[in-house]
This record gives sequence, C-alpha cells and structure tokens, in this order.
Amino acid sequence: MACRNTTYHRPQSIAEACQIAGEYGIRGRFLAGGTELLIDLDSGRDRADQLISLRDVPDLCEIRIEAGELRIGALATLSAIATAPDVVRALPALREAILTMGGQQIRNRATIGGNFCRAVPCADTPPLCIAAGARLEIVGATGARTLPAADFFVGPRQTVLDRSEILTEIRIPVPPAHSGASYQRFSLRHGMAVAVAAVAAVLQLDGDEITSARVVLSAVAPVPLLVGECTDLLVGRKPVPDLFAEAGTIAAAAAQPITDLRGSAEFRRELLAVLTPRALNEAAARAKGEAA
Amino acid sequence: MSEQVLITLTVNGQERAVAVEPSATLLRVLRDELQLTGTKAGCEAGDCGSCTVIVDGEAVNSCLLLAVEADGAAITTIEGLATGGELHELQKAFVKLGALQCGYCTPGQLMAAKALIDHNPQPSRAEIRQALGGNLCRCGTYPRIIEAIEQRHTFADETLDTKPGPHDERDQKRDHAVVGQSVTRYDGPDKVTGRSLYTADIRLLDMVYGKILGSTVAHGTIKRIDTSAARALPGVLAVITGEDVPDIWYGVSPARYDERILATERVRYVGDEVAAVAAIDEETAEQAVALIEVQYEELPAVFDPESAMAPEAELIHPEDPRFAGNINTRVEWDFGDVEQGFAAADCIREQRFVGNRTYQSPIEPHAAIARWEHHGERLTVWSSSQAPHYKQHMLARVFELPMGNIRMIRPPVGGGFGAKCETTPLELCAVVLARQLGRPVMMKYSRREMVYHFRGRHKQYIDMKIGVKKDGTITAVQSRILLDGGAYTSFGIITVYYAGSMLPTLYKIPNYKYDGYRVYTNLPASGAMRGHGVPQPRWAMESLLDDLAEELGLDPIEIRLRNAMEPNTRTINDLDISSCEFKKTLERARDESGWLEKRGQLPPGKGIGVGCGGFVSGAGYPIYRSDFPHSNALIRVHEDGKAVSLHIATAEIGQGCDTVLPQIAAEELGIPYDWVWLAECDSVLAPTDLGSYASRVTLMGGNAVKMAAAAAKVQILKVAGRQLGCDPHGLTARDGRIFVAEHPELAIGWDEAARLAFSESGPVVGTGCYRPPPGLGGKYKGAAVGTSPAYSFATSVCEVAVDLETGAVKVERFSDFSDAGTVINPVTFHGQVEGGIIMGLGETLLEDTVHDDTGALVNPDLHGYLIPTISDAPEIESHAVESYEPHGPFGAKEIGEGCLPPILGAIANAIYDACGVRVTELPITPEKILRGLATQRQAGSKLSDDRP
Ligand SMILES: Cc1cc2nc3c(=O)[nH]c(=O)nc-3n(C[C@H](O)[C@H](O)[C@H](O)COP(=O)(O)OP(=O)(O)OC[C@H]3O[C@@H](n4cnc5c(N)ncnc54)[C@H](O)[C@@H]3O)c2cc1C
Ligand code: FES
Ligand code: FES
Repeated sequence: MACRNTTYHRPQSIAEACQIAGEYGIRGRFLAGGTELLIDLDSGRDRADQLISLRDVPDLCEIRIEAGELRIGALATLSAIATAPDVVRALPALREAILTMGGQQIRNRATIGGNFCRAVPCADTPPLCIAAGARLEIVGATGARTLPAADFFVGPRQTVLDRSEILTEIRIPVPPAHSGASYQRFSLRHGMAVAVAAVAAVLQLDGDEITSARVVLSAVAPVPLLVGECTDLLVGRKPVPDLFAEAGTIAAAAAQPITDLRGSAEFRRELLAVLTPRALNEAAARAKGEAA
Repeated sequence: MSEQVLITLTVNGQERAVAVEPSATLLRVLRDELQLTGTKAGCEAGDCGSCTVIVDGEAVNSCLLLAVEADGAAITTIEGLATGGELHELQKAFVKLGALQCGYCTPGQLMAAKALIDHNPQPSRAEIRQALGGNLCRCGTYPRIIEAIEQRHTFADETLDTKPGPHDERDQKRDHAVVGQSVTRYDGPDKVTGRSLYTADIRLLDMVYGKILGSTVAHGTIKRIDTSAARALPGVLAVITGEDVPDIWYGVSPARYDERILATERVRYVGDEVAAVAAIDEETAEQAVALIEVQYEELPAVFDPESAMAPEAELIHPEDPRFAGNINTRVEWDFGDVEQGFAAADCIREQRFVGNRTYQSPIEPHAAIARWEHHGERLTVWSSSQAPHYKQHMLARVFELPMGNIRMIRPPVGGGFGAKCETTPLELCAVVLARQLGRPVMMKYSRREMVYHFRGRHKQYIDMKIGVKKDGTITAVQSRILLDGGAYTSFGIITVYYAGSMLPTLYKIPNYKYDGYRVYTNLPASGAMRGHGVPQPRWAMESLLDDLAEELGLDPIEIRLRNAMEPNTRTINDLDISSCEFKKTLERARDESGWLEKRGQLPPGKGIGVGCGGFVSGAGYPIYRSDFPHSNALIRVHEDGKAVSLHIATAEIGQGCDTVLPQIAAEELGIPYDWVWLAECDSVLAPTDLGSYASRVTLMGGNAVKMAAAAAKVQILKVAGRQLGCDPHGLTARDGRIFVAEHPELAIGWDEAARLAFSESGPVVGTGCYRPPPGLGGKYKGAAVGTSPAYSFATSVCEVAVDLETGAVKVERFSDFSDAGTVINPVTFHGQVEGGIIMGLGETLLEDTVHDDTGALVNPDLHGYLIPTISDAPEIESHAVESYEPHGPFGAKEIGEGCLPPILGAIANAIYDACGVRVTELPITPEKILRGLATQRQAGSKLSDDRP
C-alpha cells in the first residue's frame, strides 16, 4: 500500500502536529481515518512521505452541544456522529446523510474532518453542514481562524487550508424551532456507492411562510454549491410542492455537472430537478413537525 | 526503506509485539507477520470488506488501517471467533444455513456480523444490511447471511455432525438417505474459521514473490525494455522479459493458440503482460515492476468489433493469416429455411441488442505458486483454479514436460465464475522465475490486475429477428451476433458457438439461422463467464418474446408455453434433450409466483416480468482432443470400515461440489455422509477431472463417484453376503448397515463387513470414470459446442419497482422454478439459484467494465465497477420442480450456470411492465430508463394509454 519510504509521526498536541506539518510542507499529510489518504497514496493520486497521525491529539473527537451550536470534532468518526444523541436530536438529517456513506467499516474509521479536507466534489457531509450554516475551526502553525463552511472549498480536492493547518471542529448552529433539514442523494447501487448527485436543504418556517432556506448541491460542481437563487425564490413564500419544483429547476440550472462513469451532466441535472423538491418537501414536513 | 516501528497489538487476546514498516497495513501485518491468513485481501481498497477485523470493538477494513495506527489496540480476527475449539453460534449458523459458498468473503462477513451483534443483539433486517453493506459477496449468499444472523441462537448448542435423515427437498419425492439432504457443507467449518488455506495464504519455506508489468498502450510494438533500475533495487532477485520465457504460443483452444507468456514484439491491450520480477517480498516486487521502462511504438487501436472489422483497421494478430479482418472466429449456421419461416409468420419483430463487458469479479484475486523439486525434473504448482487439469496440460506443453512430472494442487478457490479456468501468466512466470531462482515463487494479481487480465463476459452486439404465428408459435429465428473478443481467443471460440447453439434448446425453433463473428479488439480478452455466451442472446430473445406477446395480446407465459421444449427431443441444431420439465417450470411460475394476480394489475412504476433459460450439464467434448474420461474418481475404504476417502480432482469454487460428491459417494456406498473424507485436489492424490466449467461437476463427477462407490461396495457386499449366508445381490446398504432387502432384521454393520474385507485381502478400492455418451451432436462445423448429456431449464419471475422520476430500479422479489433434475443438496442448490439471481441482477442493472479512448480501464476496481451488495439483493423464493435425468447420478443435472441466463430477461421484462420502457443496451441504468421515459412522453404516454 502506501509508499515505502514513509516516516510516521504521532504528535501529542495540535501545536506539535502543526509544527511538524509546517516543517515538512508538501511532503507531509495529516492522517485521520486514512480511508482516503491510504488509497490516494497507493494509487499515486497523492504523494507524501511524512504521515502525521492525529490519533493521539486530544479533544478532537468530541461531539457536544455548546453555546447553541452542535460542535463536532474533526476527528469524530462518521459512526460516532451518526450515533451521537446530540446529533440525532438536533440534526437527524446529518445522521441520515452519514448512513448513506460507504459501509460500516468505512464509517467506523472515516472522520468528518477527512471528508471535508479531502474535498472531493461528491463528499456527503459538507453539503448539509453548509446548508445548516456551519462554521469551521482551523488551527495552524501561525494561529487559528474560523470560517464559514461554505468558504472552505476551493475546487476538487482543494481547500483553503495551508499545509500546517488542521481543521479542528465543525460548529453547526442548532437548528431553531420550526426548521427542518433533509439530504437526498442518488447513487447507482443500494449502498457503498458514491453520490451521482445529492441535495441538502434546510428550511425554517414561520407559520405558513418560509423564513429562511438554504439549498446545497453535491457531486454536480467542483465544490459543494450553495444555490443563492433558491434562497431568493423560497424565502417569503408558502412551502408548497409547486414552489419546490421550481426550486428544482433553478438548482438544475445552477449546477455545473460533469459527465463521468456514473452519469452524464444532463442526467445529473435531471436528478437535481427531482432531488431538490424531495429535499425541500421533507425539510418542510420536518419543520412543520410532520415527520421525524 | 524507512525505519521500522515497534508496536504492540493484542490479537485474539494475545499480546504481540511486532516491528512494522510505517506504510504497512494491518492487513498485511496480520497475514504476513503474524501468519493470520484468515483475514482476506480482496481489493485492498476498502471496497469489499473481506479484510474486516474488529479493532477495539468496531469492525474496520484492515486494508485501510496502518498497523502503526493500531498500536495498542485489541484486535479480533476470524481466528479468534471460535473459543476453546467450540465454534461461535454465528459460525455454526453460517455453515448450517449455507451462508457461505466459496468462503472468501466469509471471514469478513462473520467479523462484521460479530461486531454488529455485540452492539445490537437483535438487529432488524435493515440494521443487518446497514452493518454488512460493506461486505461484498460475489457468490450471492446475502439472503442466507441475513438468515444466519437472525437464527444464530438456534445453532448455539448444535454440533456440525450430519444426522441421517430423509430426503428433505420439499418439491421432490425420493427414497434416499443422503442425497437430497442439506448435510453439513464439507468445506464449511474450515471456511468459517479461517483455516482454509487459499493459494495466497500458503507460506512455503524460502518463498519469494513475483509481480508482472502490464503494457501501458493498447496496441504497439515493443522497441526497448530497460530493466536495469528494477534489477538494481535491493531485494530484487530476478527480472524476466519475453526473451527469458519459452518461445511458444499458448492459449485455451489448440485451434487458436494466440498468446505469449510475456509479450515479445507486440502488445495488444493495456495490461498485456510484458515483464516480470521476483523479489524478497511483495512490496519490493511491486516497486520493482514500476521501475521497468518500456518504449513502445504505438499502433492504431480498435475498441469495438465494428471498427475492428473495417477494412482499414490495423490487424491485431498479423502473425496468422486466418485472422484477416480481425475476425477470430466465424460461425455460419442455417437450419431449416428461415426465409420460408418468416414468410409463414403473422408477426415479426427485429431488434438490435447490445450487451456489456461484465467481469466475473470473484472476491479472491488469482494467485499461483510454483516450486521446482530437487528430485528430477519435477514441478509443483498451486493455483486458484477452476480447471487444474487444463493448467497442468498447458504447463506440460509450454515447459515440454510429461504431464506426470507436474504436481498440480488446487487449494480452495475464492470464486471463479469462469475467470479462473485458464492458464495465466501468473503460473507461467512463476514457473520460469522459480526455475531461475531455485526457490518457490508466489504470484498474485491485484484487484486492478485481475480486471485487466479479464477473461470476462463477451460484449455482444445482437441483431435478432423472430417470427411467430398469431397463436405465438415460433416460425423462425435469425440472429447475427458480433462478439467483442478483446485481444486474445481465450475460451472465445466456444463462446461464439454457445451464443448460437443454446437458443434452440429452450424453445422449439423450426427454422434457425445464426451468423456469429468473434472479433479481436484492443481490449482485455473476453472469456468464459457463468452461463457462457448465453445470457445476452437469451435476454434478447426473452425481450422479443415479450414484445411479440404484447403485440398479439398473449400472456408472456402463454407464448413461452406454446413453444416450450419437451423431453426426448432432438433440436433443430442436433442437440439431444433428454429430461425436460420446462413446461412444469412455466406452469408453476404462473401458478405460484402471484403472476396471475399481479400481471397487468400493478400500479405505475411496479412491474412483474418473466424470463427463462437453462444450460448444459457439462460439455459433450473436452477443450483439447483427448481420450481421457472427463471425470475420474477413486474410493478407498479405510481399514476399520468407519471411513472412506474419496479422491477426485474436481474444483470446489463455491458451488458445493466438495459436499455434493461425498453425498453421492455416501448414498451409493450406503454409509453416513460423515464417514466420507475428501482427499485434497492434488494430482498426486486424485485422478483427473476436467474442472468446474460448463456446469459439469454434479453430473460428470457425480457419475464417476457413483461408479467408484459401486465398485467398492460390491467388494463389501460380497463379504457381507458370506457372513449373512445369502446372495450379495439381495443386500441393501444404507446408513452404515447392510441388510437383506426382504428381511431387514438380517443385517451386519457396514464397518464390520468392510473390516473383514480389509483383513482378508487388503485395501478395498473402487474406481470410476465418466465420459459423455459417444457421438453427441450433429455433423456440421461447430456441432460439438452445445452438446451435453443433459440440459437444465428454468423460469424466473421478477418483480421490480421503478422510480419514474429518477429511473432507479429496485428489484424486489424473484420466484425461481428450476428443472435441474434431482436435487442432491437443497441448501447448496438454492444457494446457487440465489447467487445466480444476484449476479444476474448485477449484470442487468449495474455492471460494465468501461474503457477510455486509449483503451485504459476506467473502473478496474470494486469502487467504480459495482456488483450487488446485501442491500441490492431481492427477496428470493427458489423452487426445484420434480424432474429426473436418466444420465445424471440419482437423476441430477446442473444448477450453477443455468440459473443465470433467465435473470436478465426477467428483470428487463419487469421493467418494461413497470414503466413501458424497453432498454436494449446493458446495463439497464437509471439514466437509460429516464431517456426511455422521455421518449415515451414525446410519443404520447403509453402508461396513460394502456393503464387504468
Ligand atoms: C469504500 C469507500 C467508500 C466511501 N464512500 C464515501 C461516501 O459515500 N461519501 C463520502 O463522502 N466519502 C466516501 N468515502 C471517502 C472517505 O471515506 C471519506 O471522505 C472520509 O470521511 C475521509 O475521512 P478520513 O478520516 O478517512 O480521511 P483521511 O484519509 O485520513 O484524510 C483525507 C485527507 O484529509 C486530510 N485531513 C484529514 N483530517 C484532517 C484535519 N482534521 N485537518 C486537516 N487535514 C485533514 C488528510 O491529510 C488527507 O489529505 C469512501 C471511501 C471508501 C474507501
Ligand atoms: S481488502 Fe479491504 S476492503 Fe477489500
Ligand atoms: S462466499 Fe461470498 S464471495 Fe464467495
């Protein structure tokens, strides 16, 4: 597997990890669950000979609600997140999104931080986090910063992180009352298949009026795509199927899909026109308290 | 090499300190450092789950976990599941319920299941699917795995002994003691404990590892190969190229030996084997091949048969003038008079169907070991092979050795489905390297390499035309098929014949014309895959029959019944059908699957469809001309009479022959199944058998075993007769007792009689052999392909739900009715049917190896090449219809391959029923269904016209 002349580091603190990473620059990679990194190194898609393990860095796996935020440590595994009572309570759609990912073995090792930092266009956790207004905590050799999750992604497999920076935490505002979220994903097989297209939607209602709406698309653009036009369309309107169908048309037009093994660009747009209203309908139902 | 790190692991309760490379995965450390080879390497990329172990209570893929990261962890592997010699209830349930076939995925399945029940002792079906979704099983044991997890407690206190009991196949009435019982799978206990040593698990003293370099261009000539960098790498022991191997053409069929061991002048597809290395370990060998530099002069390449046949196309095999126009094999058959047949038809349908290049995808990658013996010119080869005899034969030919100088050993095989029939560069290079080094050499394909080596399903371009009378009676069938053969012949001559010869076995076709072209392309070579050549043309015909039925207002089952094959018929192409209960399979399908209530009554998006098929029970003729009987067996009764050993070199690849053959032996001998030991498949221990292909082993191997058993029994009965003072002919042996048929109280223990026999005259041995009836088939060219002592028949009914907005298909249910003759073992029988359905589902809906415009594969893995998971598996009800085949042992035929051909048509027809879309190109993807729905909307909706 991974290349032969590899050196393994196991820092005991964030500072130490950042410092080692800073020292080796492009030769170094943080190792979280390794479910992306080992494959990338093996296939030659990525090259590095200094592996900086984050397994002993304390406090990076915590999942808790604090200060009105659902705070998920970047090293929390997908399984841990999917089963955390706080997640199940505050943002069940995140659990659902995670359960579509890989198999149990992958979810037991894969971390949410790795899913963000590898930044593949079809990654499944970022869209919902972005839709829910998440902020990311980042620590580097030269200091810390916070940024909206939506601003984290630069392109396929590219993020704003510099080599010494670690994503430490994902902070999602606990959705207020009368809000609901949904993640609708299409893949070619029932499980263990990456998304061909997916849509995350978060809605808030005031009576029969949509007061906030965010729609984020996955696997149909170089980065997770927050569709502002959907927000513009939806806010202030009644949550009805026709409106959601219209949002679907807008989402399909906003996407920048490619054609690949899994489907054509055209097919992906068609899927968006279906998945977007499905996501909005479910989010609306949840906001009204109609569905779990 | 970097510095090793000392880590501590608690493995199965024992603390182990190991020094590891930082880059070493836990999988490789377990297998190579700790010798715990029960954990399997199916893909080493997280996609298959065969490497699953439990780390600190959680199931993980050990191939994606660096050993250094597991430092300090508690690890449970399959070897730690049984405690104190007592199997875990999950293990027992897996064996008893048939939740394993080839067993290669099984350790991973068990560990995933164990982690699940530790967290959640009463999981729901959805939770089981969620937890085992990452564990692929190509044999398709999913339904039984679910059952085993749910019912595991039932087996907690059971032993794995097989208690004698009556025939328990519910649909057949027989008076047998062992045949017809779901006895404990012979290879089950070793496969659920990790004890089974597959080829890659074998560790020989002084063994080194080889690796092969594949071409990077699809078509070209080799200008220069520079191996100096590879040779200079520390740990590299040998590097070979085409110049270092025997200068000989080899292959499968003598009529078309068109392969080189390593390319000398020309490469013909991306991946074509060019050079090989041997090194002290796998990692070094992997690194070394990457250092070999090859300069190619590229030639124009072709990637589909039509372009390959174009006059201007570059020749792929210019060395042989027979292959002009890149046509590898041409078949022209014309039976009856199709012109007249079509003229007599009331209704004619014609359509082009295009298949897919599916890959068998066994979870075990191919592996081989070669060792030259110090004693004479003798060679031992271990190979994960379905047809060890053909490999032995080919190795003898290539290395100019008598076959007797080669000891061929077939360890357990982790699935084949046709991928492991032929001699590969693995065996050939291992032999060459082993000779150079004087050390055993192990060679393995990685997942990527095995897909490149391919020998998967031929993609067929089928133009089929069928004419019928108003009542549905077929008047003529015509088909013209182009088969994409890839770069070499492999089994392809046989494939192109099968694609034509099997159509008339199912339906009575009075006039039939077939034009087959197997064409070379610059893609990996196609070969034999489950249902060899048949599933795609069968899908085409089953689709057309439904279309014709619709046009004529006939029920799809009705049109099939009208044309169904009948027993004791000679087909238009001179194949002799003996037993045939095809009509019964159709009638039972109609009456018992809910067909009458559901067909035409389901809401939009839901559909029910029927598909039929079948296969040969062994080929009438061997691959190369030979007078050897096809199957040969030897039975030796042990000294104390309490055991017999069965020696037969068949290939257990998951299909269950290691269980079925001992059952046949026990039944014929009249002893309990548990008395039978099976000798290893080793040419020194057992006489030859042609192998596990063409679904031949139950019938042919079974007949040889039955004959050997009868020969041994005669000797025992003689002694018994003398002891009882009666004519041995009047004696019956059953369940370990020998008694006078008319006076059952006059009896002697089987073991007692056997002990006496041994004491008097030494070993009691019986031998048996089987060859198909002589003279099978007609006299025309190619008449041999399709001949068989017996044919199977099946009808499958499928129910689907189609998401009309996304095109997604969920196959919900299958009801299968098979005529496979007598069922020897219900669990393995129904397991084959389920596995065939699940594999067929993958072929219909998911699978295709895709290449780019340079001929490189886009998905040579299990990440982009999707095979069904546990969540894709439908509910399956499998039934054996009452049937008896006079040529089969106890009336048995075959099930392993015939179960697949019906599936494609059944699903396609169910999809058509659900949404009115007929997709004529495989796989039937959601995208193609959406296109069809869009076309339909434009043309005016069928659904609103035809449906309430
Ligand atoms: C079989 C299989 C199926 C999969 N299915 C899916 C799927 O359905 N959906 C999906 O989205 N993904 C899927 N994945 C991809 C992968 O599992 C996820 O992206 C996972 O979340 C990655 O996390 P990790 O901890 O394993 O990352 P790693 O492999 O450890 O790291 C990935 C990259 O991120 C960097 N990194 C990791 N953590 C940090 C951090 N905290 N700060 C800075 N850099 C960091 C690493 O240096 C590396 O470059 C699948 C993978 C496999 C093998
Ligand atoms: S070998 Fe690890 S998942 Fe396939
Ligand atoms: S038993 Fe699962 S792959 Fe063979």
